[in-house]
Amino acid sequence: MNVTYNWLKEFVDFDATPDELAALLTMLGLEVESMAKLGAGLDDVVVALVEEKRQHPNADKLSLCRVNNGTEVVDVVCGAQNFNQGDTVALAQIGAVLPGDFKIKKSKIRGEESFGMLCSEKELGLAEESAGIMVLQPSVAPLGTPVFAALGRKDTIFEIGLTPNRSDCLSVVGIARDIAAKLDLKIKHPHSTLVEGSEKVDSIIGVTVENTELCPRYAARYISGCKIAPSPEWLVKRLGDIGIRSINNVVDVTNLIMMELGQPLHAFDCQQLAGNRIVVRTAEDGELFTTLDNQQRVLNSADLVVCDAERPVALAGVMGGLNSEIESTTTSILLESAFFKPSAIRKTSKRLGLHTESSHRFERGIDIDGVGRALDRAASLIVELAGGVLANGSIDVYPGKSERTAIAFRPEKANELIGINLERAVILDILTRLECHITNCADGSVAVIPPHYRIDIEREIDLIEEIARLNGYDKIPATMPIARVVSDRPSRHQETERRVRDLLVNNGMTEIINFSFTAPDAAGKLLLSEDDPRHIAIKLANPLVDEQSVMRTTLLPGLLETTARNMNFRSLDLKLFEMRRVYFPGDGEDMPREPLCIVGAITGSRDGDGWSRPNEAVDFFDAKGIVETVLDALDVGGVSWVTENTEPYFHPGKSCRVFSGREQIGSVGELHPLVQKNFEIEKPVFCFELNFEKLVQLSKTKKTILAPSKFPDSSRDIAMLIPEELAAVKIVECIRMEKSKEIEHVQIFDVYRGKGVPDGYKSVAVRIRYRSFERTLAEEEISALHKKIVTSLTDKLQVTVR
Amino acid sequence: MREQLDQLRNGAMQAIAAASSVEQLQDIRVRLLGRKGELTALMKGLGGLAADERPVVGQLVNTVRDEIESALGAAIVSAQEQVIAVRLQSERIDISLPGRRPLKGTKHPVTLVIEEICSIFSGLGFAVAEGPEIEHDWYNFEALNFPPEHPARDMQDTFFVENNMLLRTHTSPVQIRTMLKQKPPLRIIAPGTVYRCDSDATHSPMFHQIEGLMVDTGVTFGDLKGILTVFTNQLFGQKTGVRLRPSYFPFTEPSAEVDIACVICGGKGCRVCKNTGWLEILGAGMVDPEVYRHVQYDAENISGFAFGMGIERIAMLKYGISDMRLLFENDVRFLRQF
Repeated sequence: MNVTYNWLKEFVDFDATPDELAALLTMLGLEVESMAKLGAGLDDVVVALVEEKRQHPNADKLSLCRVNNGTEVVDVVCGAQNFNQGDTVALAQIGAVLPGDFKIKKSKIRGEESFGMLCSEKELGLAEESAGIMVLQPSVAPLGTPVFAALGRKDTIFEIGLTPNRSDCLSVVGIARDIAAKLDLKIKHPHSTLVEGSEKVDSIIGVTVENTELCPRYAARYISGCKIAPSPEWLVKRLGDIGIRSINNVVDVTNLIMMELGQPLHAFDCQQLAGNRIVVRTAEDGELFTTLDNQQRVLNSADLVVCDAERPVALAGVMGGLNSEIESTTTSILLESAFFKPSAIRKTSKRLGLHTESSHRFERGIDIDGVGRALDRAASLIVELAGGVLANGSIDVYPGKSERTAIAFRPEKANELIGINLERAVILDILTRLECHITNCADGSVAVIPPHYRIDIEREIDLIEEIARLNGYDKIPATMPIARVVSDRPSRHQETERRVRDLLVNNGMTEIINFSFTAPDAAGKLLLSEDDPRHIAIKLANPLVDEQSVMRTTLLPGLLETTARNMNFRSLDLKLFEMRRVYFPGDGEDMPREPLCIVGAITGSRDGDGWSRPNEAVDFFDAKGIVETVLDALDVGGVSWVTENTEPYFHPGKSCRVFSGREQIGSVGELHPLVQKNFEIEKPVFCFELNFEKLVQLSKTKKTILAPSKFPDSSRDIAMLIPEELAAVKIVECIRMEKSKEIEHVQIFDVYRGKGVPDGYKSVAVRIRYRSFERTLAEEEISALHKKIVTSLTDKLQVTVR
Repeated sequence: MREQLDQLRNGAMQAIAAASSVEQLQDIRVRLLGRKGELTALMKGLGGLAADERPVVGQLVNTVRDEIESALGAAIVSAQEQVIAVRLQSERIDISLPGRRPLKGTKHPVTLVIEEICSIFSGLGFAVAEGPEIEHDWYNFEALNFPPEHPARDMQDTFFVENNMLLRTHTSPVQIRTMLKQKPPLRIIAPGTVYRCDSDATHSPMFHQIEGLMVDTGVTFGDLKGILTVFTNQLFGQKTGVRLRPSYFPFTEPSAEVDIACVICGGKGCRVCKNTGWLEILGAGMVDPEVYRHVQYDAENISGFAFGMGIERIAMLKYGISDMRLLFENDVRFLRQF
C-alpha cells in the first residue's frame, strides 16, 4: 500500500517530518518498507528566466541562452526547441544531481561554455516521457525557487507493508486514522456535496441480490449525460504518485476513492447493461466470462457475478467485464459500491490467479458501514469532473444491517498480560482515540464496541493488543520470567545425533545440506531394482521445478551430485557427509516416515598433498574405518560385514552391508562404475550409509569397563597362506572362538600378495597378544596355547602356516 | 702397599682426565673398581698385612676408592652433558614446514547456528523438541488459527502433497504437537527444516527455522522482550539493541517483529539494513487464546509467548554472507571456512 505524506496531511494535521512519520508508522505496526522523496536532492534545480536565446555558432540544433536564476545570469547551451526568450524554465545548476545519478557540471559544448542544463519533466522524474524542456507558468514562483517546491511536488511516498489483519489501513484515510489515534489528533474526513437531479434512481435501474450471504450489501447510483475525458492533472499526478496509471476521469475517480477510503468501486457503462437491471448471483458451472483484461474466464458456482438482465457484466469484487467497461463514448454510468464476502472473493481470485486492488481489499474485508459514504463521494466527484446529472437517491440493498456486539474488556488484564502498569483512564483513553464506544460495567469491566472498520477487533485480546500498540511496544519494560523448573535434558536421539555429527567432523568429514526434494528419476540413477522401496517417493502437488518435485528416499544422489560439482571446481580430495531425513509414504492413514539417515563419500588423496607423507589415494577401508569409528563410539555390538546382496550402486567386489546382529544398519562400498558415470564423476568414490534410527536403538547405554592387567604381555605372530576367497576376518574369528582368557588382542598386521605367494592365495599375518589378569604367563604356557591356536586354524580353515 | 695405592690413584686420575666418552669412563670403573678390578685386588691383599696396620690401610683403600668414585661420577655427568650439548648443537629442523595434522572437517553453518541457538536457550531452561516435516494442514495452519481461505495463508506459500498433507511452512506446528502432549509449565525450542513455494535471490524453497515456546502462569509480553534481549545479546554480542514493533501472526497476539541494531553498521544505517539501522530477525508474540483452545489449555489461567526465526538469515548476518544460495551449493571451498 502506497501513500504520500501530503495526502495523509490532508486528513490529519501532524507536525512530524517524513522521516519521523515513517518511524511512527513502523512503530504502529504499519511498516514503512521504503520511502521515496520526490525532488530529494533536486534543490539545485530552480525556477529561472530565459533572458536571451540565440543560435549556437557551431551547431544548428543547439541554442545559447542567457538564463537568470534570481541571483545571477548564466550561459547555458540547450538542445530543445520548444521554448522562447522570456519563458520561465527549470534550470539544473552546477552541482545538481538528477535522477539516474546524472551530475550537472560546467561543460563546453561545441566550443561554447554551459553553466547548467534546462530540464524536461522526464529528466526530473516528473513524467515518463516529455517532448522538450519544461516551460513553467511565468508567475509560478520567484526566480531561484527550487522547482519541486514551486510546483508543490515536494512530497514523500511511503510504501507500507500491511499485515493481513489491517484491512482498515488499505486506504489513506485508514492510515490517517491510526496516526490521529496515536498522536491524539482529530481526523478530517473528506467532504462531498451531492447535487442530485429529480429523476429517481429506482425508476431507472433495478437491483436484485440473489445471494445475500455472499453479497450482504449492494449500493449503486446512476449518472447520466456525463462526458468521458482525460483526468485533470492533479488527479493524474495523485494516482501516478502511488503507482496507478490514469485511464479516464470516471475510472480514475473510482480508483482515487478506493485509495482514499478503501472501498473498491466499479463503474458500468449503463448503455451496455441489458434491461437496466443488476442481478447479483453465483455463476453457473462452466459459465464463460471475459474480464476487462480481455481474458476469457471459466466460472463455477462458487464465483459471484454481477449481471444485467441477460449476462454477467462483472466478476464481483475482482474485475469488471469487457462488455460493460467505460469507454470514450459512454454517457451514462452505473456506479457500484458493495460488500462481498471475503472468503468467496478470495476463492475466486485464487482459482483464477486474478489478484486486483479490488480483490485484495474485499478478501481482507472492507468496512460494510462505509459502502454508502464512498459511493456518494465518488458520485459527486464524477459529476464534478465529467459533468452529467446524478439521479435522485441511491439504491442500497442491505437486508441484514450488521451491528457490532460489545466486547467485555478488563483493563487490568491488559496490564497483566503486557507487563505494564497503565492507569485505567489511560487505557480507556487509548480505546476512545481508536473510536471505540465504551460503557463501564458494574463489575469493573468495560463493554467496548469497536468501530465498524476495525473488523480485526473481535475479542478482549484484540483490544489488549491495541493498548500495547498505541501505548508503544518501546514502553514495555524487558523483564525475565519467573519460571518453574522443568527437565530439559536432550533426548537420547538428539544427544546421539550431535555425537555422531561431532565424530564425523572430527574424522575430517565436511557436512553438506541438500534440498529434501529431488528429481523423480534420482533413485533411477542408482541402478535400483524395480521393486526397490526407494522408488516410491512422496510427490509434491505443486513443485517449483521438476528437479525438485519428489521428497528424497535416499541421500545418496544429492551427495553424489555435490561430489561431482565440487570435483568440477577442482576440489578433488573430498570427505563429505550429509545427516538428514529421508521420506517414505506412510501406510494408509499413517503419517509419512521421516527417518534420519547418514551418508558419506570420500575420494581423492587421504591426507591431501603435503611434504611429509606419501600422497596415497583413499580406498574402501577409509570409508569402512569411519563406519567402524561411529559404531565403536556408539557401542553398537555384534557388527558383521556381509558381502552378499550388496547395494546395486556399489562395486559388487568392493562393498558390503553392515549388520548389528540381524539388523541391517548400513552399507559401505566403492561406487559402481556405471553409477559413477551417471553422476559424471571421473574418479573412484567410496561411500557409506548408516540408518541413524537403528543406531540409536542398538547403541548400548551401559558400558562395562575392566581394570587393566598388571602382568606382562607376550606376543606371537602367525603368517599363513590363505585362499583369496577366504575372508581374513575368519582367522580372527577362529582365534576368538578359542575363548581363551589369556588372549588379550588379535590383530591382522600384514596382508601380502606377490612374490612367494601362489596365485589365488594371499599371505596374512596375525599378531596375538597374550596376557593374564591373574599372573605372569610362563613361556611354556604361552607356547602351548599358541600351538593350540595354530592347530585349530589349520584344522578349521584352509590355511597353510608359513 | 701405600705406594701401590698412591700409584693406583694417580693412574686413575690421569685415565679419568684423559677419557673422552661415557663408555671409556665406564671401562675405567670396571678396570679399577669392578669385581676383578685393580683396587679390589689390592683389597684382597689386606689380609696379608699385620693386624694393627690393617685398619689404617683399609681406611686408606676406602679413601682412594671414594676419591676415584667421585672423580668418575663427576666425569660421567660432564661427559653426558657434553653428549647432550653436542646433540642439541647438531640437531635442527625447519619448523616453518606445516604441521602434520588430521584433515579438518566442518559442520554446515546452518547446523552451527542451530547448535548455538539451542545451547543459548538450553541455558535458559528450554528443551529441544522436534516434529515431522510432512504435516497435516491442521497442525500447520488450522490449530495455529489460520482458518481455511484466510488471507494470512498468503504469507506462507505452501507445497502440498497427497492426503491433504503439506510440507510444513514453519516450525510452529511443533508448538501444537508439544502442547497436545504436555501441560504447562512448558519451555521448548524447536529447530527444523521448513518449506515454502518461493525461490529467488532472497528466498529458498527449503530453509530452517527455530521456534520457541514458553507457557506458564503469569508470563508477560515484557518477559518475551526480556528473553529475546538476553538471547540476541548472547548471539550477537552484549548490548545489541533490540526493538519490538507491532506485527501480525494468526497464532500470537499481541504480535511483534523483532529487530536488532544492524550488526554491520552498528545502527548508523547501511546497505544491509536499508539505512534503517535495524535488521529484522524474528517474529514473536503472546500465544493467541485461539491456539490454547485447540490444545485444550485454559487461556484464563495461563499465558505464554512464542517466537520463531530463520536460521539462514542469522547465519548470513553472523558470517557476513550476502547470498543465501551459497548455503545450499555445498562448495567445500565455502564450507571448510566454518
